[in-house]
Amino acid sequence: MIQIKPYDFMVKYQQQKDWIGGRGNFIAFAFFLGGISGGLYMAAAYFDSLLGMFVAWLLSLLMGVSYMAHLSHPFRSWRMFMKPGTSWIARGFIFIMLFIGLTTIQLILSQWVPEATAAITTLKVLAGIFAFAQSIYTGFAVSYVSAIKVWNSAIVPILFVTCGLSGGLAILLAITMGGDHAQLVALENVIRVVLIAFAIIIGVYLWNTTYSSTAAKEAVKRLVGGSLAPLFWIGVFLFGIAIPIVMSVTTYFVGVGSSGLLITAVVSEIIGGLALRFAILKAGMYTPLLPVD
Amino acid sequence: MRWGMAIELKRCIGCYECVLACKAEHFLPPDIFWNRVLIGESGKYPTVTKLIYNVRCNQCADPACVKVCPTGATQQREDGIVWVDEDKCVGCRYCMIACPYQMRSMYEDGNSQYFPGQELTEHEKVGKELYPHQPGVVQKCVFCKERIDSGIAAGLTPGVDREATPACVISCPTKAIHFGDLDDPNSEINRVIKEKHGHPFHPEFGTDPSIYYID
Ligand code: SF4
Ligand code: SF4
Repeated sequence: MIQIKPYDFMVKYQQQKDWIGGRGNFIAFAFFLGGISGGLYMAAAYFDSLLGMFVAWLLSLLMGVSYMAHLSHPFRSWRMFMKPGTSWIARGFIFIMLFIGLTTIQLILSQWVPEATAAITTLKVLAGIFAFAQSIYTGFAVSYVSAIKVWNSAIVPILFVTCGLSGGLAILLAITMGGDHAQLVALENVIRVVLIAFAIIIGVYLWNTTYSSTAAKEAVKRLVGGSLAPLFWIGVFLFGIAIPIVMSVTTYFVGVGSSGLLITAVVSEIIGGLALRFAILKAGMYTPLLPVD
Repeated sequence: MRWGMAIELKRCIGCYECVLACKAEHFLPPDIFWNRVLIGESGKYPTVTKLIYNVRCNQCADPACVKVCPTGATQQREDGIVWVDEDKCVGCRYCMIACPYQMRSMYEDGNSQYFPGQELTEHEKVGKELYPHQPGVVQKCVFCKERIDSGIAAGLTPGVDREATPACVISCPTKAIHFGDLDDPNSEINRVIKEKHGHPFHPEFGTDPSIYYID
C-alpha cells in the first residue's frame, strides 16, 4: 500500500482506503460472495441442481453478513433501501433482499411441494434475474465512481459477472462431482468457455483502462508491475485463470477429470475470484488535485 | 440562493489559520480536517512555482456524494450546502469513495483525544457538549451552516457580517477568502469572480463546485 503522509494528501496519486483494509475488507468479500452466489444460482437453475441453488442462497446470506460487518452502524441498514433512484448500493441491497426472498420460497416449494412446477419455474426465472442483478450491481457500484479512473470502466461489471459465473460454475462442479456423467461433461464445457472469456475480458479491461487516463495508467502499472503485482499475477492470473484453464484443457483431452484435478480447479478458481475483487479495489487511485511532475 | 466562496491564491500565505479556525469552530477530533492547505511545487529549478491551495468540500451543485449515498444521509439544502445527517448515516463510505476531491472524513474512534493518556482539555470537554460528533459516521465541511442560519435569523448577511460568515473566511489574516451568494448578480463574491476571472478547481470532475479560485 502506498503510504501517504499528511502533507502528501491529494498532492500525489492516492490509493483509496475506504473500501479496503480494516472494515473495508468486508466489502471486497461481499462483492465476491455476491458474484459467486449469483453465478452459482444461474448455473444451478440451468442445470436444475437444488443443492446448488441452496448453496447460492447461503452464499447470498453470507454476502449480507459481510455487508453488515462493513457498516459502522449495521442496525441502521434498513435505511439503505432509501435511495435506489441514484445509489447503486441501495439498488444492490434491494436486489440481494429480493434474491434471498424469492430463492427461499422457491427452495421450500422445490423441496416440499415439487408438483407446483409452474410456481417453481416462475420463481426460478425471477430469482435468476435477481441473481444476475446481485452479481452485476457490484460491478456497477464500482464503475459508477468517476473519481477513480481505473474503476470507471463499462468493462468492470462484465468482468465481475464473468468472474462470479466462473466461480459459481466451479462450485456447481464440486457439488455435482460424482453425479450424472453427461451433466459433468456439459458443465466442464461451459466452464472452459467462461474461463477463456474471463481471461480475454481481463486483458481487454487492462488494455483499455491503460489508455483512459494518467491515473488509470498509474493504477494498471501498480497492478501488473508494482506493489499489487504479486496479488494480480499469483492471485488473479495464476489461480483465477492459468490453473483452471490448464485443468480444463487436461480434462478435455483425458475425458472428465479426476476428483483431485477438479477440486484443485475449483479451489483455485475461488481464490482467483477473491483476488480479483481485492486487486481491483486496491488498485483504485485518485487523481492528485495539484499537478504532478 | 447558492452559497459559494472565492479564494485568491496570490493572497494565501499558507499560514493554516483557516484550518485551525475550522478545527476550533466545530471542535473537530484529532485526525479530522474539514479544510486543508495543499502545498506543492510545479516546474523545475530555476523556474519553480510554489502552489498553495486552501481546499474544503466544494458544496458542489451536482454532488457525487449525494447521488451515491444509499440512505439519504448526505443531502443538499436549497441554498446548495451539502451536509450529512449523522443519525441516518450507516457508515458505508460510498460517499467518501465517490468524492473526487476527497473532502470527506470518517470519524472512527469516538474516544480519540488530542493528548492521549491525559485528561481532556477544556476545549475538548466543551466540544463534547456543544458539538458532539457521532463515531462511525462521515463528516465534512458544511460552510458553517449553523453560523449562516443563526446569522440570517438575526437579520445578518453571510459574507458581510462576521457572525454569519464561515469561520475560515473571517479568520484569514490576508482576506484571501470571499463568501457570498453566487445566485445574486450584485454580490461581492460574484464581482470578485468576474473581475478576477475565478474558476472552479478541477471542473473536469463534473460536479459543478461552488468554490472558485483566483490565480
Ligand atoms: S466536494 Fe465532494 S463531498 Fe463536497 S459536495 Fe462535492 S462531491 Fe460532495
Ligand atoms: S457513509 Fe453515510 S453519508 Fe456516506 S454514503 Fe454511506 S450512509 Fe451516506
